[in-house]
Amino acid sequence: MSVSSPAERDELNRLLQQAGRNDQKAFAEVYKRTSPKLFGVCLRMLRDRGAAEEVLQETYTTVWRSAGSFDANRASAITWLVTLSRNKAIDRLRQHREELLDDPSRLDETVDEQPTPAAGAETSQEYQRLQQCLDELEPQQQSSVREAFFTGATYNELATRCKVPLGTMKSWIRRSLMQLRTCLDQ
Amino acid sequence: MNTPIEDGNNNLRYAEYVLGVLDADTRAEVAHEVLVSGEAATAVALWQRRLMPLTDTIGEVTPAPYVWARIHDALQLDAPARVTPRKGLWNNLQLWHWLGIGASAVAVALLVVVALPRPTTTPTVVNAGYMASTIQQDNGSTGWTATMDLQHARMVVVPATPVALEQGHAPELWLIPAGGKPISVGMIARDKPTTLALDPALLAQLGPTAALAVSVEPIGGSPTGQPTGAVIAKGAIGAAPDAGGKVAMIGVRRADRNRV
Repeated sequence: MSVSSPAERDELNRLLQQAGRNDQKAFAEVYKRTSPKLFGVCLRMLRDRGAAEEVLQETYTTVWRSAGSFDANRASAITWLVTLSRNKAIDRLRQHREELLDDPSRLDETVDEQPTPAAGAETSQEYQRLQQCLDELEPQQQSSVREAFFTGATYNELATRCKVPLGTMKSWIRRSLMQLRTCLDQ
Repeated sequence: MNTPIEDGNNNLRYAEYVLGVLDADTRAEVAHEVLVSGEAATAVALWQRRLMPLTDTIGEVTPAPYVWARIHDALQLDAPARVTPRKGLWNNLQLWHWLGIGASAVAVALLVVVALPRPTTTPTVVNAGYMASTIQQDNGSTGWTATMDLQHARMVVVPATPVALEQGHAPELWLIPAGGKPISVGMIARDKPTTLALDPALLAQLGPTAALAVSVEPIGGSPTGQPTGAVIAKGAIGAAPDAGGKVAMIGVRRADRNRV
């Protein structure tokens, strides 16, 4: 199920392009190879199996309809797919934002949680590079960036969770992003 | 090339978009920009490349098979919904399928033969034999096959292609007498055979002028006693192959109508 080797990435790019030309077999294969990854992402962000299943379904429905617009020169298929699922998950979080804010127990669940590499998960060279750059950030800023990425929370929500003023949270994240870019683009 | 400050500000928005911290309105603005501006799309793609490796740390979780079935149904794909169905169930389905198709063919043939007007009495429905119905979805594929054993007052409903339903919902089977209101037969399973008891009131309504329909209801059944959700499959009732008495009845009813 892995898509970590360059050969597997190329093959997945090809399959997604074929799916973009209405090849149902290729689409089924794309689902088979990538749905565990995308479902992991949806579960991590939404923390609710039913919601994650719905977002996963929406994601692949969109994949089938818009795979024709996938451009392998711009992003790899797996990045394109993960991005699509994250965007759908974030849209859903925004729709349900008020409900979540009304339920403090839901927010407490995610406070200060440090995501760690899943047991046995192989990380790519790109991840290791990113990790090095993240390690150069202040610990609090690094954890804010991770929290933002993995929970899809808004600045407001992050500020509430970390109990800092909104302005502080914004400047932490923005400074971190610029620092990451400088580090990664070297 | 943008000035460093413009570049910085714009880039921050794209970075914030990819990170996922923008509120709904600002997100929508950036998403629109990505669609209409190649420059914005490139900037966002670069940020995706920078940040997406973080998902390497998220473990894979295989979704339940029904998620694919739902996608498959929603997109009305032609490929089989299940690549490897369980053997026992599959054999069973083949059998029920065959029974359902056979029933329709026999019913049609007999209708042709006996549709000549002739005086006759209406036989009772309840005495003997089997009736069958192929309950089809709107896209023409068979959702369930129902076989009614009139002697033992029971019905076996077998799914052909498991349909995908929203969470918290289940299929409910209805008997619809010609010109009458639907009568609930019971809840049926979407992915395995269900056996339902038929009470005398239901038995009395079974016949070739009645139809079966499946609607989507809350798990416990329709709260009103009438279908409340979408009707996802319908089927006419016909005689099963070995139902001598029933077959005659179909012909008779049809003959009577012709005479009127």
